[in-house]
Amino acid sequence: MKVKINNKEYEFQEELSILDAVKKAHIIIPTLCYSEKLKPFGSCRLCSVEIKGERTLKPACVTKISNGMEIYTHSEKVRKVRSTIMELIIASHGISCNLNCLTCSKSASCEIKVIAEEIGIMEVRVPPISSRVPEDRSSYSIVREPQKCIVCDRCVRKCAEVQSVNILTIANRGPDTYVTTFLDKGMGNVDCVNCGQCVIECPTGALHEVYQTDQVWNVISDNSKYVIVQTAPAVRVAIAEEFGAEPGRIVTKQLVTGLRLLGFDKVFDTNFSADLTIMEEASEFLERFKNGGKLPLFTSCSPGWIKFIEHNYPEFLDNLSTCKSPQQMFGAIAKTYYADKIGIPREDMIVVSIMPCTAKKYERVRPEMKGDVDYVLTTRELAKMFKLAGIDLLNLPSEEYDEPLGITTGAAAIFGATGGVMEAALRTAYEVITGKTLERLDFESVRGIEGIKEAVIEIDGLKLNVAVVNGLGNARKMLDMIKNGEKDYHFIEFMACPGGCIGGGGQPIPTTKEILSKRMKAIYEIDKSFEIRKSHENPAIQALYKEFLGEPLSEKSHELLHTTYIARS
Amino acid sequence: MEKYYEKELLEELHDIQETYGFISEEDILRISEKRDIPKAHLYGVISFYSMFHLKPTGKYIIKVCDSVSCSLNHSADIVKVIKEHLGIGENETTRDKKFSLEVVECLGHCDEGPVMIINDTYYTHLTTNKVVQILDNLD
Repeated sequence: MKVKINNKEYEFQEELSILDAVKKAHIIIPTLCYSEKLKPFGSCRLCSVEIKGERTLKPACVTKISNGMEIYTHSEKVRKVRSTIMELIIASHGISCNLNCLTCSKSASCEIKVIAEEIGIMEVRVPPISSRVPEDRSSYSIVREPQKCIVCDRCVRKCAEVQSVNILTIANRGPDTYVTTFLDKGMGNVDCVNCGQCVIECPTGALHEVYQTDQVWNVISDNSKYVIVQTAPAVRVAIAEEFGAEPGRIVTKQLVTGLRLLGFDKVFDTNFSADLTIMEEASEFLERFKNGGKLPLFTSCSPGWIKFIEHNYPEFLDNLSTCKSPQQMFGAIAKTYYADKIGIPREDMIVVSIMPCTAKKYERVRPEMKGDVDYVLTTRELAKMFKLAGIDLLNLPSEEYDEPLGITTGAAAIFGATGGVMEAALRTAYEVITGKTLERLDFESVRGIEGIKEAVIEIDGLKLNVAVVNGLGNARKMLDMIKNGEKDYHFIEFMACPGGCIGGGGQPIPTTKEILSKRMKAIYEIDKSFEIRKSHENPAIQALYKEFLGEPLSEKSHELLHTTYIARS
Repeated sequence: MEKYYEKELLEELHDIQETYGFISEEDILRISEKRDIPKAHLYGVISFYSMFHLKPTGKYIIKVCDSVSCSLNHSADIVKVIKEHLGIGENETTRDKKFSLEVVECLGHCDEGPVMIINDTYYTHLTTNKVVQILDNLD
């Protein structure tokens, strides 16, 4: 297919959209409602181009190229129209002194700002209109500020197409159009799973997490409290992006130093309790496997996934592992075993989590969790705190986590990527079943970014059918296949977010496919850097069982480390 | 959205609207289940069309046009007098459930403005006095 773009000839084999074809010619067209992961929508009209012989401009995202087409991407007519459209978008976004860009949640990652510069907007001839739709603060995880919404529909499509959660919609029409939930009930009062993929997708500051930084500043400066912090595996491979580093930069030890500088009394690692999760979950799996318990076993680390299954597939609740997530296990152990060990009254200990996740904010307040964790900050919120404290994260000296809840393994490190929990569990299960040392630790078949992966793992003649699923749209597909009897497995790992926790709703923005694969590569590098790469060989975990818990699935384990679920449909 | 069962969805919504005067939350949940359409999506569809109501309405639904022609012929005065006479605001219903008031887009009688429609009856060339009379004559 021969196409002329700005008078230069190109040949394309496939029937691309104009937008994709133009990209291949290294020409940049601004877009707002377009997103690489979603079906094109064609509503913002910013990508409009001139086509020879056509009366009107055509949106490049939803128009296909055809043989002999002559496209002009930046002609005078296009530039004029694009600039006017942008002026209208800015006016509808209500940008004025009342809505100060500098105080916006997306002050550093606003797409409108970038596009305004690309188009070269010099004036806005239309006065700003402010939305009269009230803010939505009904959720523990996510805030919606409709006055910053440009109704690009990306959150609605992300929620529907990628996550199949379907809680957002566009309501009304014309100038009164707005994004909302069923009957305007608010995100906290509908089937929202708090995954935060809408936050990642939003080009403006209309969606952001519920901030807890103020509360954390307060407890840090309160001398009567003993404040400890835990960091999730996916934070250390992403937070550097907030400071301008290339995606995939590992800053584990700078992160530890930075948290000490902020004033935390001890800096611990969620990876410690990830190892603990493996001990409990691998044992639970083996027990179910031997005694004819409910299979397939579903992992339970991802709170977005948990709420999804509670709302949509309550018939599968018995398949869920009863293990709390590593975040909650950490809190439960810190406020019992560790508090007693160092002689701090349990009520004076404050546990703060740094998570790549918005759903963890909701998980924390679940009544089943009994206040194990006090505050949850996203990767983005921690970066804000570092900046506020003048901490130059990338150039900090290296420091080690505190002991004992900071002693971890390579198996725990990979929890941050899709397939990691499965792989870590297999490393331990293999050795427990066979009593032999596992020679090859890398289970490549469960790695990678694909939405659904399957593998057959042979352990001493036993054939284990396992699957790894990420993204809730894929989870829905998987559960439907199991329901219809098309698939059967022994063990399935589910993560709510595409790519696993590295693609979580609390991670730096943007999170693209390319960035995800760089973060994932970093996760496996961390695993390789550990001498101990199996959870059951973690000496601090061994000591915890010896001194406190007894053995996996003991009475004490059940009391502190396991939980229950609710059918919400 | 082709995967959902959307055929004749609007007809079903119209039936409910005509029978009960509004579409209740229970109606939406039932349709959502039956047609496998997310309830948020149904809310989007219903709120798009101004003839669907999500709350009970009065016996008489007054729709006053405020598009260009009627607006130039002082439709705002008509709305004002109805509000004062009935003691309700836009999209509200009188306490005796007799009247609901809506301000709507073009009703297709641009040469006869200002125009309103009460249930299925058109009233044209309105004046403030005429409107009060019309309302008082309905029982």
